[in-house]
Amino acid sequence: MEPRTLCFINLYAIFGALPKLCELDDEAKALIADKNIAVGFLVSNGPSATLRFAGGECAMYDGVEDCDIKMVFSGPEKFNAMIDGTSTPIPRKGLMKAGFMTHEFTELTKILERYLRPTPEALEDPEFKRKSTTLMFHLIAEAVAQVGNEDTVGRASTGYISNGEVTLRAEGGEAVGIRCVNHRLTAMHTPPREPTAIMEFESMDYARDLFDGKVNAVTGVGQGRVRVLGMISQLDNINRILDRVSLYLA
Amino acid sequence: MRELYSQRTSAEYLDRAAKVIPAGVYGHQGPAEGCFIPVQAFPKFSSRAQGTYFWDVDGNRFIDYMCAYGPNILGYNDPDVDAAAAEQRAICDCVTAPHTKMIEFAELLVDTVACADWAFFAKNGNDATSGAILCARAHTHRKKIVFFKGYYHGVSAWTQKIDYPGILPEDVANNLYVDWNDFDALSEVFDRNRGEIAAVIAQPYMHGNFADNILPAPDFWQKVRKLCTDEGTVLIVDDVRAGFRLDLAGSDHYFGFEADLICFCKALANGYNVSALCGKEFLKNAMSSLTYTGSYWLSAVPFAAGIACIRKMKEMNLPALLREKGLKLTQGLQDRAAKHGFDLHVSGEPALFYLRLADDPSLMLHQQWIANCVLRGVYFTNHHNHFINAALSDEDIEETLDIADEAFAAL
Repeated sequence: MEPRTLCFINLYAIFGALPKLCELDDEAKALIADKNIAVGFLVSNGPSATLRFAGGECAMYDGVEDCDIKMVFSGPEKFNAMIDGTSTPIPRKGLMKAGFMTHEFTELTKILERYLRPTPEALEDPEFKRKSTTLMFHLIAEAVAQVGNEDTVGRASTGYISNGEVTLRAEGGEAVGIRCVNHRLTAMHTPPREPTAIMEFESMDYARDLFDGKVNAVTGVGQGRVRVLGMISQLDNINRILDRVSLYLA
Repeated sequence: MRELYSQRTSAEYLDRAAKVIPAGVYGHQGPAEGCFIPVQAFPKFSSRAQGTYFWDVDGNRFIDYMCAYGPNILGYNDPDVDAAAAEQRAICDCVTAPHTKMIEFAELLVDTVACADWAFFAKNGNDATSGAILCARAHTHRKKIVFFKGYYHGVSAWTQKIDYPGILPEDVANNLYVDWNDFDALSEVFDRNRGEIAAVIAQPYMHGNFADNILPAPDFWQKVRKLCTDEGTVLIVDDVRAGFRLDLAGSDHYFGFEADLICFCKALANGYNVSALCGKEFLKNAMSSLTYTGSYWLSAVPFAAGIACIRKMKEMNLPALLREKGLKLTQGLQDRAAKHGFDLHVSGEPALFYLRLADDPSLMLHQQWIANCVLRGVYFTNHHNHFINAALSDEDIEETLDIADEAFAAL
């Protein structure tokens, strides 16, 4: 596992799930209802992005040019330590607004963790399970893009993916996409209109079981519970990246 | 209009299999790697086979253009090959000391294959290609191997890619990759790795999956041959897939050059389990030095089958026959496609033709047409080259074209 790649996942996939969380979860939505603040994360030799909370919504942008609070990290390991909870960074800019980080932002990350690392009891609630699985779709799409672009082995897989847009979806449920242009991947949080390949799970519950490693995608293809079509080589290589993603998200 | 096949029983067997076998059916014959799209259209288990047909567990009959992915070259249950195997089985098969059929088979291969001075036997194509790599490294005392992108040389760790499950970066650390037909790139790789390249390994032409197959550019092989000779690098031809379908003397002979090592399996014994690595005299000592063997590698029944198979292929002048059948079929398919306004591309050699409907770059339309054919009794695949066998008759080709026509109409 490469710390730099983990850092990209932590920023773009984990923190990148906050916009969707604020759409899906009422408690999260309430926390940011009257906020108008932008938090930038700048990692030396790593990624930089800004989370903007405004108008009751959250969005993520590349770069930190326009933020109220700027968190600066001397390297990927420092950022990863913050995610692990083993380090508490001090904002480089916006100290006066740092209360947002210690209160609302921290609360948001706790809610996110409940969805991303749910207890078995929590998953018994169908609505919670649906939201959790929806978040997983978006997190996985983003993590695939980061691993495919940054991880040494992941880049080998991306090197074999031809240009196009791949849809990952659950029948009657969530759909996301992954765009490949010149062997660089981008997560798509709305599914492609004209996908070059599709991987469809028979249900959100089956997708959940796949994400949790309870069932196997290859067996699922044989049983018709995972349907694939289009440029299968794109899906093959994304599956190899997914294998790496599970290593980072474990 | 034909009634569409049902795969209900196949699906039941697959569910049963998945309980005790990883993925139910794993590998290239399974639904995932075999690209069964949609999975409901394809048979998962066979009940019997004869000639150019197989029947699935639902009782459906298929005109089979995959030929067990190559081994069926004379027709399933060929009477001459089966009789030779049965005769040998009554004598002995897997015994402490190998039977002399082994010598007969090696002599026949040396007489048949242009570049062969010796033959070494194993079971699968992967055994032959892995043996070839070991032999090249033993002879040259070098580490690096050059591959052409889009290659398939088996499943051992050295043949796989860095991102495949279970593969370590160290397994493929000595692999170098070059685009097919790009001799300048190959020369540059040799320049950058002077004195380090043990072997160049390649199929006789690029029959990669999911893409049109590409024949060698004029003089490409001759230039590769000279470069390998000049640099003291072993030239390995992986003829596992194409072997005997293009030329009984080897596909290197067909394309006008000589390999140092050539690997055979699939068509070698019409389905009996044997593979062979043939090579030039200067590599015999290196091959003799290897610690490389297997429990069933010297079994005599497949040797007897192989001898009968090669003799029959010679009598039939099989490559010319397969080419003629392949051309008749593929030209007919292109005509049917054009009639319905579709652009069907045919690539590779006629005996191992590759199909692609070019009207939809995502291949979804192509996958639908292939499924339409399978549902009506013609077994094509949507991702892999196909195979012609000698038992395919003109009537079978006509029936195939009728079914293809219906399949186009149903798109």
